[in-house]
Amino acid sequence: MNIEFLTFLRREVYRFMVLYKQTIVPALLSSLLYIIVFGETLGNKIPKEYFATSYMSFIVPGLAMMSVITQAYQNSASSIMQAKYLRFIEDILIAPLSGLQVSLGYIIGGSMRGLICGLSILIMCIIMPNTDFKVDNWLLTLLYLLTVSWTFSAFGVIIGVIAKSWDEIGSFSNFIFMPMTFLGGVFYSLEMLPGWAQKVSLFNPIYWMINGLRYATLSIEEISYITSLLICIGFSTIFTIIASYLFKKGYKIKS
Amino acid sequence: MNAIEISSLKKTYETGDEALKGINLNIKKGSFFGLLGPNGAGKTTTIGILTGLVNKSSGEAKILGHNIIEDFKLARKSIGLSPQEINLDVFFSVRQILLFQAGYYGVPQKKAEDRVDTILKKLDLYHKRNETSRHLSGGMKRRIQIAKALVHDPPILILDEPTAGVDIELRHMLWDYLKELNEAGKTILLTTHYIEEAEKLCDEIAIINNGEIIKQGETKSIIKEVSLNTIEIEVEESDNLKLSDNFKYTTENKIIKIQTKEVNKEISTIIKEIEKTTTINNINIINSSLEDAFLKLTNK
Repeated sequence: MNIEFLTFLRREVYRFMVLYKQTIVPALLSSLLYIIVFGETLGNKIPKEYFATSYMSFIVPGLAMMSVITQAYQNSASSIMQAKYLRFIEDILIAPLSGLQVSLGYIIGGSMRGLICGLSILIMCIIMPNTDFKVDNWLLTLLYLLTVSWTFSAFGVIIGVIAKSWDEIGSFSNFIFMPMTFLGGVFYSLEMLPGWAQKVSLFNPIYWMINGLRYATLSIEEISYITSLLICIGFSTIFTIIASYLFKKGYKIKS
Repeated sequence: MNAIEISSLKKTYETGDEALKGINLNIKKGSFFGLLGPNGAGKTTTIGILTGLVNKSSGEAKILGHNIIEDFKLARKSIGLSPQEINLDVFFSVRQILLFQAGYYGVPQKKAEDRVDTILKKLDLYHKRNETSRHLSGGMKRRIQIAKALVHDPPILILDEPTAGVDIELRHMLWDYLKELNEAGKTILLTTHYIEEAEKLCDEIAIINNGEIIKQGETKSIIKEVSLNTIEIEVEESDNLKLSDNFKYTTENKIIKIQTKEVNKEISTIIKEIEKTTTINNINIINSSLEDAFLKLTNK
């Protein structure tokens, strides 16, 4: 890897690290609140036979994934939007970097933020008192966190390039990812749903992603984790190709 | 080899606006070149294409022999751009912005640190190195833009309105610095609205209007070729004064204004003609300027 690309990558990581109070801490805090409020209060009222573990532990992978998705997407989309808005994206566009290098810089930057948030939530839940949460397979866990983070960071790059306003970036987050995540089994097991809803859930890629991480951490396998991993890799590859193409062509960012 | 070679370069925007209509331009290595033109003439589009901010419609451009599309990495490494609009990263300190900028062009960290500090001192910004751009004045921001263009030590500098919005003192300081850089061997392509700036700095200029280069050559030659000098002669009595048809002149309040290309050749003839009729009280010669040439060529 050359200095040009590594510098850009450093800039992207440094940006969210400098702003850790806006980028990392709120993600941990909201997950902690979900765990305490939902896990403690709701968990005691849900019949234990639905889950192979405590309800509080059951919801941790979903919450971690929710954070990974939001943070990775927000990072790349908002980084590009800010750069477009304040025009310092021109520094990158005139630099001797290829479209692939620029898109990878943004994608890896976003992925790092997603990965750090996801990992921090898992570690926080392991060390929290009164929880039985554990990570059975760290390698698979990291692989899931990374591929999901990469997928949504790459998607964030695409939206960041295409979006004309902050509203458009927020709309994807609020009207698409949030419902898909909540309906993706963060707080419930598929068995708790009626038959038709179970079938519909299978069309939600986030459902597969959450369950993949649930398998990697708690060894609970509702659906094939291999298929889940392939879905993550497939989406991350497709979005990376699109993001790279957009930068190569200068779509909506060059006249 | 020229520093910049542009041939048949065309740009038509999606709106249908034909910003460049097939321009040809060669800029010699080491020259201080001014690209002048009214607003919307195509200056920024030309610079945008050279630097990779604008996609060309057709034609070709080379930077030090490197094609801007096929060899874009080598072409871009040869250029330092100071854009017209201030575009500073708001998250980082001045020093960090410049270190990143150097890194984008492959300058190793240690070398970048030395170079950044040297440039910051030269531009009198060293004391502001740890501030973010939000806390800087307009003039300081403008200087950082120039520092960004210089930080990877490119052989070619492209400066789009580098002194826009800065005070006179700073403008003169920047002019001196740019001259120094040019004398040290850097090729400079400058666009400016201050014609005086181009006249003072540029050894060669091109005037662009409506997407076409309408004049290119040495600054002095263009002024001489295009515009006329003015001789103002104050006389005792102007009512019955009549000069031969060879001279283009006007008379107002006993002041005769004669426009001519060759002042030295013609002034003695003019004086003789006037003295046949009246007495001369005062003579004032106003040399033509690039501004006159510019206005004449662009029909403003």
